[in-house]
Amino acid sequence: MNFVFFAMFLILLIPIYEAWQDEYIWQKMLAFASIATKTSIMILFISVLRDDWMIGVVGVIILSVGNAALMLLAHVIRRMNEL
Amino acid sequence: MINALSYSLFSIGIVFWLWGTLPLIGHRSVLYKLHSLSVADTLGSMSIVVGLLLRIPREWPLLILALISLAIWNTVLGYVLAYCSSHGGGDV
Amino acid sequence: MSDEFYVVAIAALLPLTALMLVLQVNPYNALVIRGILGAVAALVYALFGAADVALTEALVGTMLSITLYAVAVRSSMSMRLGVIAAEPHPDNERHDIPYPPEPLLSALRHMLDQHHMRLERVAYPSLPALRTALRNKDIHAICIGTETNESALLQVDHTEPYHIQTRLQRLYELMQKDIPSTMASLSYVQPNTLESAAIASADSQPSPVEGKL
Repeated sequence: MNFVFFAMFLILLIPIYEAWQDEYIWQKMLAFASIATKTSIMILFISVLRDDWMIGVVGVIILSVGNAALMLLAHVIRRMNEL
Repeated sequence: MINALSYSLFSIGIVFWLWGTLPLIGHRSVLYKLHSLSVADTLGSMSIVVGLLLRIPREWPLLILALISLAIWNTVLGYVLAYCSSHGGGDV
Repeated sequence: MSDEFYVVAIAALLPLTALMLVLQVNPYNALVIRGILGAVAALVYALFGAADVALTEALVGTMLSITLYAVAVRSSMSMRLGVIAAEPHPDNERHDIPYPPEPLLSALRHMLDQHHMRLERVAYPSLPALRTALRNKDIHAICIGTETNESALLQVDHTEPYHIQTRLQRLYELMQKDIPSTMASLSYVQPNTLESAAIASADSQPSPVEGKL
């Protein structure tokens, strides 16, 4: 299980690197979308790993709410490009 | 038996994650990256969650909720991101 | 031991993303990185067993603060340029040409882009309304054509086709550096002299005829 978690951590590094090196904002948004999903899946994984129901609930809430934040931000950034 | 099945689901999920995330690096268009990200990443995440579900069936309502929100939100999010990034100069 | 190792590796992501956030120059990029930092922070908190802190970070630290900051950055990082609403000419269809002509407009946009700002044009019906709006600090600068008799009211002599007057010292310095002097003449007015000068003409409250062009 620990090995699987470590592999997830290594994959998480890829979008972080991408967000750091790319200056175009939509590429950063893609990296953010990827990171938001991956971290919440990792939180769910931790909850099963430790058999902790409370962390699992938090993981599911973050999974749905993180995406909502992303959509709000996407709309504001789209408005910025107007005019 | 169940353990082996969940491990194989985890590895399938991680392969899908890798497949969806690796195209992020490189100079392709946003829509190309978004396609691989939304398809492969969501499938990978769902297979990992199913693997977790096999391991601890006791928490099934929570994990089913995670599966549903993954499927719905990531689809909608892919659509919204594509719309916002391509309609940058448009009105509304 | 391996258990310790991945905890340390994930905790190390937090200062890494925080450093990325601090090094960002563009405010919008910084907002996106702030979202990444929030996601990583929630993961770290959940890893250490603090489910409530992780939830708060995701809801307040990421969603609410990013949305509020995005709105704040969007509305504050902009230059409001007052122009006189173009009257539609019945004999030709040139009336929908943007009022400051394209070379001047793109020079202004290019200048503002370097400082991650936006240009917002606000149209007013007449020159007194424009000046009242400038005095009331509704807009940051006004742009008028100098071949019309309107500019005689401003007592500036000019050979350039356009004149930009601003009440902000910093904006004036930026425009002096980046707007070619053949395109438009520039002037800076002190806000307090504006106030005294405009008392005589402050009879009517101006209202933008169109919000954003």
